[in-house]
Amino acid sequence: MHALNDAWAAVNAFMASGGPVLLLIAGLTFFMWTLIFERFFYFKGSLKRDVQGAVDTWEARPERKSWGAHQIRYALVSRVSEKIQSNMDMIQTCVALAPLFGLLGTVWGMINVFEVLAITGGGDAKQMASGVSMATIPTMAGMVTALSGVFANTYITRTAERETQLLEDHLTMDH
Amino acid sequence: MKTSIAKRVLAVAAAGLISVSAVAQDKASSLDQLLKMVQSSKIAESAEHKKREADFRRQKANQASLLKQAENTRASEEARSAALEKKYEEQELLVQQKRQQLDERLGSLKELFGHLTSTAGDLRANLQTSLVSAQYPGRAEFLDQLIDKMNSATKLPTIAEIERLWYELQRETVESGKVVKFNGTVILPDGEQTEQEVVRVGNFNLVSNGKYLEMNDSQKMAELIRQPDGKYQGMASDLQAATSGFTPFGIDPTGPTGGSYLKAMIASPSLVERWHQGGIVGYIITGVGVVALLLAIWRLIVLSGVNAKVNSQLRSSTPNTNNPLGRVLSVAEENKGVDGETLELKMEEAVLKERPAIESGLNLLKIIAMVAPLLGLLGTVTGMIITFQAITIFGAGDPKAMAGGISSALVTTVLGLCVAIPTVLLHTIVNGRAKRILHILDEQSAGIVAENAERK
Repeated sequence: MHALNDAWAAVNAFMASGGPVLLLIAGLTFFMWTLIFERFFYFKGSLKRDVQGAVDTWEARPERKSWGAHQIRYALVSRVSEKIQSNMDMIQTCVALAPLFGLLGTVWGMINVFEVLAITGGGDAKQMASGVSMATIPTMAGMVTALSGVFANTYITRTAERETQLLEDHLTMDH
Repeated sequence: MKTSIAKRVLAVAAAGLISVSAVAQDKASSLDQLLKMVQSSKIAESAEHKKREADFRRQKANQASLLKQAENTRASEEARSAALEKKYEEQELLVQQKRQQLDERLGSLKELFGHLTSTAGDLRANLQTSLVSAQYPGRAEFLDQLIDKMNSATKLPTIAEIERLWYELQRETVESGKVVKFNGTVILPDGEQTEQEVVRVGNFNLVSNGKYLEMNDSQKMAELIRQPDGKYQGMASDLQAATSGFTPFGIDPTGPTGGSYLKAMIASPSLVERWHQGGIVGYIITGVGVVALLLAIWRLIVLSGVNAKVNSQLRSSTPNTNNPLGRVLSVAEENKGVDGETLELKMEEAVLKERPAIESGLNLLKIIAMVAPLLGLLGTVTGMIITFQAITIFGAGDPKAMAGGISSALVTTVLGLCVAIPTVLLHTIVNGRAKRILHILDEQSAGIVAENAERK
């Protein structure tokens, strides 16, 4: 319990030194990783059921050669790939936004530094240091979020592509 | 005065006239008579002269006695002056003696009084900025009197006064370690004076009714016109309400030296003032941001409506022309007998017609998301140009003049990012909706037509 309190205090101190933008980055990171985990669980869980449903519908058809059958196969693949692709755009946007948030934090911190400069005339290095940490910590946090998101996003994109390909392969046509 | 002079002149003139007429009346009728007349007047004149001379002599004697009297007075006064001078010299010697005696008797006490004077002076300087003075007014007057007394050569402070100085020193020390409530007169920002409960936190802060107070130049408590953040005001009212235990409170560490930190904190610009610092570029960015927000909300509402209609179309088997999917499906309905390839072409054509209405505004949103940070950069660069112009004019000696320009330059960057970030997010959401509809139109409409045909 004591260790937990210490950890919580450390997190609080970190958040305080990073300024308000760090909270936004934390929220963005949480949101992004929620979406990423949702994708992970979908690929591991309900994706199999969706693919099986499409394959079953396809296999249950009496004929699989006509123009109509081709269009229906196309639509089946499209429906499943829509499910596979859902939220992927949002994850990509979050990855792109993370450095922007970091930049926002940097500029916000710089404004604080210059404000201290305007009040004290550059005499107080200690007060300026708080603005500098407000400038650098969000940048770092934004970078970390973006980097972690890039790796996860690459994995998810490749999985999605592979699963769509596999589905198309499963829906065989009778030549 | 003037009138009396004029009267006299008139009287003299009248007398002259009378005498002339008398002379004219006594006109000599013959030369002998004239001679007689001259003789008689001569005799009369000499008698008058004699009388005048006698008078003069009498007075001369009188004057001499007066002179003698005056000379006597002078002599006596000179004697008195000499006596006084002698006495003064004697007394001066005596004063010197006494002073010497005083110095000798004071001895080490003199050093003590020197220390007392400097301590009282220091305390007076401290009390001028001390917040404890708000609770105990009138301490500075006592110190002024004490210092005057010690600086004068003829007076010595009494034991009671020295003990009072000791007491005041200790009271200042003890009181600056206390958090106390007391009633005092507070000047509100509108100039009104009210009697209210004030909480003094040591020598650091004065708060009342959740507002921070300051000591103004005339040693009165005044409510700060601009207050610190609401968070700190809440802490202040919590502190006033608390009766025991610990309460978190925002303290000004520079309180004992006049509270410059609190003043600087209050002087820092509010969010609205920051926004105005951005200047023209800042306003442009804000305008672009508002346009983007309104556009995104409008497209979101429109696309949500279309999406709902498409969803209901997906569930029903008859095409409804109030939605894009229904219109594409109705093309198939109208061309029932046609072969697959032709139907596909016709449907693709219908989808192409639907596309602009669904995608409208999306590109503008994307452009705004890209342009906003660039506008922010533009503002930064113009701000820097202004800053460097200021350096050219005033030189780089004043960091305050430069810092103001730089912070206003950075504000536009913040504004640019504050517009870009939500716009990117909104674009992703709106684009997601549009993409889903287009996805259904592009890839599933033909399949739906085929499914419907098979079901019949």
